[in-house]
Amino acid sequence: MSQEGRTTLPEITPLGDAALVVRSPLARELLAELTASPLPGVGEAVPALDVLTVLYDPLVAPPEALTANLAARLAELTGRAGGTGRTLALPVTFDGPDLAWCAERAGLDIPDFIRALCAVPLEVAFLGFTPGFAFLTGLPGELRMPRLDTPRDRVPAGSVALGGPWAGVYPRETPGGWRIVGRTGAVLFDVGREDPVLWRAGDRVTFVEVGGPGG
Amino acid sequence: MAESSSLTVERPGLLTTVQDAGRRARALGVPEGGAADPVARRLANALVGNPAGAAGLEVTLGGPTLRFHADALVSLCGAPFEARLDGPFPLWRAVPVRKGQTLSIPGTPGGARAFLAVRGGLHGQEVFGSRSTDLRTGFGGLEGRSLRAGDRLSWFPSAPALPPRAFVSPDLHTPTGPDLTLRVLPTPEATPDLLAVLCGSTFTVSGQADRMGARLTEPVPAPHDPTRVSLPNPPGAVQLPPDGRPILLLSDAGTHGGYPTPLVVARVDLPALGQLRPGDRVKFRPVTVEEAHAALLRQERALRGVEGALRWWYKGV
Repeated sequence: MSQEGRTTLPEITPLGDAALVVRSPLARELLAELTASPLPGVGEAVPALDVLTVLYDPLVAPPEALTANLAARLAELTGRAGGTGRTLALPVTFDGPDLAWCAERAGLDIPDFIRALCAVPLEVAFLGFTPGFAFLTGLPGELRMPRLDTPRDRVPAGSVALGGPWAGVYPRETPGGWRIVGRTGAVLFDVGREDPVLWRAGDRVTFVEVGGPGG
Repeated sequence: MAESSSLTVERPGLLTTVQDAGRRARALGVPEGGAADPVARRLANALVGNPAGAAGLEVTLGGPTLRFHADALVSLCGAPFEARLDGPFPLWRAVPVRKGQTLSIPGTPGGARAFLAVRGGLHGQEVFGSRSTDLRTGFGGLEGRSLRAGDRLSWFPSAPALPPRAFVSPDLHTPTGPDLTLRVLPTPEATPDLLAVLCGSTFTVSGQADRMGARLTEPVPAPHDPTRVSLPNPPGAVQLPPDGRPILLLSDAGTHGGYPTPLVVARVDLPALGQLRPGDRVKFRPVTVEEAHAALLRQERALRGVEGALRWWYKGV
């Protein structure tokens, strides 16, 4: 954060009267820090890519004081916190309706496209949208796919899809605008489990082919 | 012979769900949930001597008919539903129900929702610390769904208590339509032009209004930004999809969204947001953070006054 004695002011802006938005590459590390050692008045901190939205109770924490507290916390972070150390291999059957379109766009035949996708070390950047949905980051440029112009009304649960810079898996049937390349039987959200959500931000993920058009 | 503390759902109503104060698992993509009118939830619980976050029933537009198999103490707060329990049933009060009686809550001339608290608090599946029903994914409450005829609900035992003769001052009733003004805070995504249109117009709540959000009918010029990334949705966010018809997000909204969010409804007006029904007319009035917090503090002081007095009553009996 600090260079030659000068501290860059982190960007912390209000969003409504009960949330602050922290924009920083250290957002995920700040979330870990706030979880380990909560600040008074903070109800929840919700991550996105290089963003942490902090929901607070204005009756407990005035926004000026909370902004100062968050800035102080950020200044103490090292930027060295890595992932969770966990690696998940997700079994995928590559038979999605957009598979051929995506392969052609990538300039590959289907088997090479699948091999390329399975070779990518993905990482859970953050969870959101719907319970258990993970935004997976790490796609190289040629595997990034534009979203559909019109989202599908129904994307089946377990669909493995590509959208913009992201890869993702739909935990349950929802509308969705990403390009579906396959499906997995992995259960991403199950309230019957001790930990209902399969993964956490910082987990490393790879797709493993378990069948498809080529067998 | 003696039946446990339970009731049977004779008619389920339009959309009746088990709700409480909601859950805090947004960082896992799990919506907050919880009663859409939190003031009604708090007052209904306080009236029967429950903790503020006890689970009860949220009734919507057309309410249920419930047959009680045990004596109970209940209260109904929120939109002015015309309820009956062998005779007119007063809202905003604690009302004893005798075993065998039937409570019917047919409908309301204004507003959308009310919260029925039962002394002791309702049972229900607890997920991430909340018994609230998540209808979209299907968990919490009663099998993650709305009530059906024939369902049986039970509540936690609680020491019998005389109901307080108090009623809640109308000042604390959540405002209901057909005309509502919501205080809002502009975000950096509100350009001056967009803000002028949003805060200078009257909008109508469309038929697309549920626990996830209320869609407005009249379009405004929506900024087009295909590169906008998904960001966390704060409670009360006003989203602008490409067709320009604003969506006011409610308790069951997804945790993140990619649409521009030019306004956020002030926390003090989230209960009013939970009372919007199709056909209501809505205006937005911009306020500063300081004004919003001052209004919230006034509301909170009044609420805590009532909650404190009722707690004192129940301790005394």
